[in-house]
Amino acid sequence: MASIRVPSALRSFTGGASDIEITASTVRDALAELEKKHPGIGAKLLHEGNVKPFIRIFVGPDDIGELGGLDAKVSDRDEISIVPAIAGGSGTRDA
Amino acid sequence: MMRVTVVGAGGLGGPIAMSIAPTGIELAIVDHDVVDLSNLHRQVQFTNADLGQPKATRLAGVIVANGGRATAHIAKWSPEHADELGGDCDLIIDASDDPATKFAISDWAVANGRQYVIASALRYGGNVMAGAPGVACYRCLFEEPVDAPTCAEAGVLGPVVGAIGGVAAAIALGLASGDRTYAGALFVFDDLRRVPEPRIVRFAARPECPACSRAPISPFAPAPERVAKGT
Repeated sequence: MASIRVPSALRSFTGGASDIEITASTVRDALAELEKKHPGIGAKLLHEGNVKPFIRIFVGPDDIGELGGLDAKVSDRDEISIVPAIAGGSGTRDA
Repeated sequence: MMRVTVVGAGGLGGPIAMSIAPTGIELAIVDHDVVDLSNLHRQVQFTNADLGQPKATRLAGVIVANGGRATAHIAKWSPEHADELGGDCDLIIDASDDPATKFAISDWAVANGRQYVIASALRYGGNVMAGAPGVACYRCLFEEPVDAPTCAEAGVLGPVVGAIGGVAAAIALGLASGDRTYAGALFVFDDLRRVPEPRIVRFAARPECPACSRAPISPFAPAPERVAKGT
């Protein structure tokens, strides 16, 4: 079974779980199953069917942009990583 | 002599600058903010005696006191002043807390053929990206700044910025020494309390990336200026 690594910023949707096991053959199906299991998280990742511009998704170490986008194939042993941009740096602004 | 510019003299900029300086690299520290009491738990380069003082000046002072070379620039990085602030640096490191600044630094580095590192930390994790001429840039990685809380709003642990800053410094030193192993890679630390190892992912250049294609770039609006406050 494949898994999705959920970034800490979105774990409020998954009850704190970092890894969600899913059964899917493509990244698109995987995200749909993630939304089915944890309603609301999909809207944080996708807009009108596309990955939001400050989110990047990887299958293993590989960017799905090079694997067919959301139609990238997923196998049982794959880990899908959701990587959002992070604003913080504790520097120039007042942090 | 190798010159490195560090933008942000706070929780990330402190450990980055202090760990790079002993190698003999000359640093330029850029930050417009002043030291606030609420900073001290994670910006360990400062003490109570620094309260109210410019962060750039105080961090540069610590480095010089330890035998290093550093100059302070009390300024906010902006595309308008980038050439002045970036100057003749060989490598630039973003340690800012402003999403738009991260894009602006990447854009400037790409346009000027410089190596760069973008470091971010929030709550228990963070990301570090290594950039260099000829590989996908930060604007290839993320197309827009994230609309998400900053450290000031969401919090970040002192050990987290120390760890992420250390990684960013190590990657910067690798780039500075000519090692491009991680150029174009993103180090992802999900939760340093549980998993200290990063996931290292690589991403493709976007054909439509305006920075890489040298097309006109509209800078993203900077985050609203805020007065230093407790977090």
